[in-house]
Amino acid sequence: MDIILLLMLLFPLAGAVLNAVSAGRLPRRLSGNVASMAVLGSLIMAIAGFILLGERTLVVSLVDWVSVENFSASFAFLYNPLAAIMALMVTFVSFLIHLYSVSFMREDKDYCRYFAYLNLFVFSMLVITLADNLLFFYLGWEGVGFCSYALIGFWYQDPEKAAAGRKAFVVTRIGDVAFGIAIALSFFLFGSLSLTYIYGHLGGLTQVSATVLGLLLLWGAMGKSAQLPLTVWLPDAMAGPTPVSALIHAATMVTAGAYLLIRLFPVVRLSPLALAAIAGVGALTTMYGSLSALGQRDIKKVLAYSTISQVGYMVLAVGAADIIGSMFHLLSHALFKSLLFMCAGYVIQALDDEHDIFRMGNLRRLLPHIYWPFLIGALCLSAFPMIGGFFSKDRILLATFLGPGIIYKVFWAMALLAAFLTPLYTFRMFFAVFQERPGGRSAEEIKPVPPFMAYILWPLAILAFCDGLLNLPFGPGKDWLARYFSVLAGAVVALPAPPGYELSMSVGSGAVILAVLLFTYVLYRPPGPKFSAPRLEAFLFEGLYLDKLYYSVFVVPYERLARFWWQTVDEGGIDRGLDGTAQLFAMLSRGLGYWATGRLSTYVKMLLVGLTVFFSALAVRWYLW
Amino acid sequence: MIVPYSHVLILASIIFILGAACAVARRNLIMILVGVEIMLNAAALVFISASLFWQKLPGQAFVIFLFAVAAAEVATGLALIVHIQRRTGSVISDDYNHMKG
Repeated sequence: MDIILLLMLLFPLAGAVLNAVSAGRLPRRLSGNVASMAVLGSLIMAIAGFILLGERTLVVSLVDWVSVENFSASFAFLYNPLAAIMALMVTFVSFLIHLYSVSFMREDKDYCRYFAYLNLFVFSMLVITLADNLLFFYLGWEGVGFCSYALIGFWYQDPEKAAAGRKAFVVTRIGDVAFGIAIALSFFLFGSLSLTYIYGHLGGLTQVSATVLGLLLLWGAMGKSAQLPLTVWLPDAMAGPTPVSALIHAATMVTAGAYLLIRLFPVVRLSPLALAAIAGVGALTTMYGSLSALGQRDIKKVLAYSTISQVGYMVLAVGAADIIGSMFHLLSHALFKSLLFMCAGYVIQALDDEHDIFRMGNLRRLLPHIYWPFLIGALCLSAFPMIGGFFSKDRILLATFLGPGIIYKVFWAMALLAAFLTPLYTFRMFFAVFQERPGGRSAEEIKPVPPFMAYILWPLAILAFCDGLLNLPFGPGKDWLARYFSVLAGAVVALPAPPGYELSMSVGSGAVILAVLLFTYVLYRPPGPKFSAPRLEAFLFEGLYLDKLYYSVFVVPYERLARFWWQTVDEGGIDRGLDGTAQLFAMLSRGLGYWATGRLSTYVKMLLVGLTVFFSALAVRWYLW
Repeated sequence: MIVPYSHVLILASIIFILGAACAVARRNLIMILVGVEIMLNAAALVFISASLFWQKLPGQAFVIFLFAVAAAEVATGLALIVHIQRRTGSVISDDYNHMKG
């Protein structure tokens, strides 16, 4: 088993190294194929590992990494059902996205750099997925952060895109710091960083330390998962190539925060306060994401805000102590959101880098290949009854409703409202892009795109469509995923809902979602929106002005302070002081320079005069004494 | 000693001053070298007379050293002068004021 896990990690690492050391000289086909095959190797290993694992939990320790006195960290894996499923998802989605990327990046000259980063990302993400040691986990955590930064700013010649990369890096770092503190704190509390050790030694943990640890972990997760208040980097991250958005900023990295909370759930669940905080952050973010998505015009930003909102559901589920629901939604979201992003990438390329959904239109007729995958993705995202994200979202809503205290009812209401907004923003985008309308696109404006990019979406589309089969609330495969995850500490297989609750809630939300879909159609059907509220639209468009707020509260004072240190203190004080000293010495030396005439005769004369005076003085003194 | 010691010292001083004056006043490098040689010889004269006056041999040994040093100095000095004459075409010391600050 250890060889399987090792290979799963080493394949993408080898691909990344190969692509990186070739310094861009690998032929285009070879570079893409090496990268894809490396991830295919990982996928095969993930499947093999999944089959061999069964429902066991394995701890595999490879070698010691750091070992100083009583501190030690090793390259160790904790391979349990959770990690197995996550690894399957990561490698499967990554593989499809790699194949898609080969077509998507067909004209980019920096393909080697691209595939090197992409493979390195898969490696780091698998480290996060498998790591048993928190320090090892952190290695992957920083690795994905770096790859995210490098790929958002992939087209670094464009200063705006490079700035987006920097922003993502800096904002996620605010979260990473908290995670770093959490790691140090767990070493202090448990004396070890091994997850298995921590799971086994929770007895002595006080309420206060559990709460602090839980809140620090939540803060860490906020950065990576773009939860409030650290959401602002994700919409900007859309500057990267679209497959990157699909892989990193939809399917895998942004869910790493939720995964972290699920992985450390045995610690987090000890503190009701931390759980409530997690649920609150999740619920607020869900609302925030849905509202902001409603106002966007850029197709990728709609999807980005939608990702924020959906990841909010996962965090909310952890807060509602339902890690199975969280993981279930993570899986369905990974499938349908990467599907949607790749569809968007296809559309963007076909329209020659057009991002504005209201300058699209007529695409059902013009891009028939992409219509159905996009529709399936949109329906899954909207939680259309019986497909895709319906079951997972329902489970989360139910778990939140059953949470302790009135506050969870509030969270539930917020999440429910967001769930109703989801079809609204999704189909607002969908109708704008695909429906026939005046001012839409004509056939001459369409650039040819390899049809392979649409075919590759079908496996994802089918899986996203059938995703509910993983954990049906009824029928032959009832609760398969939940039962598979039942070995995880704190997992609740069947939510303790009174009979009838589950069914009535499902039916109720299904009916409302259908109603919202109809309403969306009425509102946004061709030729366009039936209302106009510019102030509201601007408010939503700017993401509730959160970005502007941060700009004026943090960035502007920081820049002012930096300007003060730079211009007043450094240039005005230190530099001018040094310049003045240098000028003083220059003046002194110029004065002394007059003595050096360079004329030999003068020097000899001076020598003679000097010697005469010297010897005369000696003589006089000798004579007088 | 037939000649009084003080007379020899006065003669040596006169020769030394003449040599120094030559070295200082002339601009021609060869003449400066000649001046330096004259000063050296004045010093040698003092050594010889002192050796005779105190009846001690080291004074004469010193003079032999002095000749050797003077010969070596003239050899290198003249070689340098020939060299710079060939390079720049001038043996006037004031033309070489590159060390001016």
